[in-house]
Amino acid sequence: MSGRGQVRFEDIVKMHGEFAALKGVSFEIEPGEFFALLGPSGSGKSTTLRILAGLDAPSAGRVFIDGQDITAADARDRDIAMVFQSYALYPHMTVYENIAFPLEMARMSKAEIVPAVQEAARKVAIEHLLQRKPGQLSGGQQQRCALARAIVRKARLFLLDEPLSNLDAKLRLETRTELKKLQRSLGVTAVYVTHDQEEAMTLADRMAVFMAGEIQQIGRPADVFARPNSIDVAAFIGSPPMNLIPARYRDGGVEIAGHRLETSLKEAGERDVVVGIRPGAVRIAAGGIPAVVELVEDLGDTAILDLDCQGISIRARVSDGDVPREGTALSITARAADIHLFDATTRRRL
Amino acid sequence: MPGHAAAIPQGDLGRVLAQRERRFAAALLAPAFLALLATTTFPLLFLIGTSTFRMDLAMPFADGFVGLENYRTLLADDRFWSSLLVSLIYTGATVVLQVALGLALALLVMDMKRGQGWFRIIAILPVVLSPAVVGMIWRTFMLAPEFGIVDYLAINAGLGSKNWLGDPTLAMVSVVVIHTWQWTPFAFMVLLASLASLPEDIYEAARLDRASAWQRFRRITLPLLRPAIVMVVIMRTMVALTAFAAIFTVTGGGPGTATEILNLYAYRKSFTELSIGYGSALAVALLVVTILISGVLFALRRAK
Repeated sequence: MSGRGQVRFEDIVKMHGEFAALKGVSFEIEPGEFFALLGPSGSGKSTTLRILAGLDAPSAGRVFIDGQDITAADARDRDIAMVFQSYALYPHMTVYENIAFPLEMARMSKAEIVPAVQEAARKVAIEHLLQRKPGQLSGGQQQRCALARAIVRKARLFLLDEPLSNLDAKLRLETRTELKKLQRSLGVTAVYVTHDQEEAMTLADRMAVFMAGEIQQIGRPADVFARPNSIDVAAFIGSPPMNLIPARYRDGGVEIAGHRLETSLKEAGERDVVVGIRPGAVRIAAGGIPAVVELVEDLGDTAILDLDCQGISIRARVSDGDVPREGTALSITARAADIHLFDATTRRRL
Repeated sequence: MPGHAAAIPQGDLGRVLAQRERRFAAALLAPAFLALLATTTFPLLFLIGTSTFRMDLAMPFADGFVGLENYRTLLADDRFWSSLLVSLIYTGATVVLQVALGLALALLVMDMKRGQGWFRIIAILPVVLSPAVVGMIWRTFMLAPEFGIVDYLAINAGLGSKNWLGDPTLAMVSVVVIHTWQWTPFAFMVLLASLASLPEDIYEAARLDRASAWQRFRRITLPLLRPAIVMVVIMRTMVALTAFAAIFTVTGGGPGTATEILNLYAYRKSFTELSIGYGSALAVALLVVTILISGVLFALRRAK
């Protein structure tokens, strides 16, 4: 199935009256890739997916699948399967009928449909539920049914719109790994919409980070995490979020709470910057910025410290062994390589 | 729950309180219950009682208890069978038309971007009119030869003036159309509400599953609307079987007995020919037919 499911968006604009839901979005998805559209709600990621599916038409721009311009094609003619956030199962049909529906619409014979449905149901482990109605299934089972309906047709594109958001935390983790395995085994191109950066990080081969109708950054999750290209992306990716501290840059270093930290930027001169330090990159070491532990959130294997550095609040993640008590005075620092610098006015990475 | 025995120290107090509450509830219920008994149950029993008497106001000397004699006459009465047939045709035709047109309208209006509210208000108007008034309007404004709107249109369309209420077939068609005109909005409103409650996303899923518009209608809309459709059919059937005012004012059952539904026949027997006993038997027969048909429809409703 490789070679199918290549997607290209060219300057897609979507207007809702005066409001621009998408302001010129362009990206490409390679065949077989697991591509995540990540962003907070209202950022345009779901709109992008709906335009790709053909459920909404863009106001401007063009959409290509496998090199073919399908901007004007109806959803029926795009050979795309989708898992909806609400699952959108047909409530009056049994699980079997739900999964068989896309095959019936493709005018397959009964002799072909039966084994195909069995196979799809087996892949998501719901063979024993085929005679039930969606109303008699749990949320997780409904989700699997929706998955089976999407994979049974072997479409060239597999779209998932926040498929895990209605599951409880434990089930979400389980399903997440299964989803990844399923996509790998099918080798199909998957486009996955989520607002959960952890889901995008763990599942996606590459991801596009959406903010306010625009793509801020596209890249492999690890790269986006390591080098966020704007303050917004930096604040969105990572949990707990990156510490962002306004500071003054001077000749290779920044000054925070009266203490100088060396950075990897070697540039003469002075400017206002925003310093980003991930909580996990904050080190407790003598001779750094003096801080007082305000609050400790113990997560078991790690702990999050809320620190007060002379009026600036900084969060630090420390491992279990040496958790300081609340009220303790200590000193923190960070390696030059772990310090992200952003321009205070353009909000871009320096 | 005042009858919570465990919370009350003296053993019987809870039981006494519960009993008092029941008595109070019964007292509150009694007026409505008695009114209902007096206006529905008693007349019904009286009707059944009357149907076992010969009661002819034209020949009062022959009155008396006759047992099932009226029913025996009824089974042999051609006019009864023909009026029953007219009733069934009238009911079947109007109900099918109401559901089909109501569904078509509802589907159409669902896709209207603007003016839905106005359409609903205008559509509901016929329903709030009295059937007698509707009958009068149709007889005079719509179907009157030459001057009625329908006849005028027929003349202009080159069909020529028709005797809409004088020709047996046309008269039947006319009363069916009138009933359909008045009550389609009811089916329309119910089906529109039901249609509006269907989730949008399953239609999107069906589009992605490559179902055509017709397949989406056949495989998704119709099955999901089934409960509402069955409900409309049941309600409209019961009303159509016992329709009276519109036909009474438009044709009076005529020409001859062409539009004489069972209800009208019972009325004519009772109040025109004044044989109250036989008329009652006809009314009871109508009741039995209505119960039987409703029973079948309710069984269908439960079937799936």
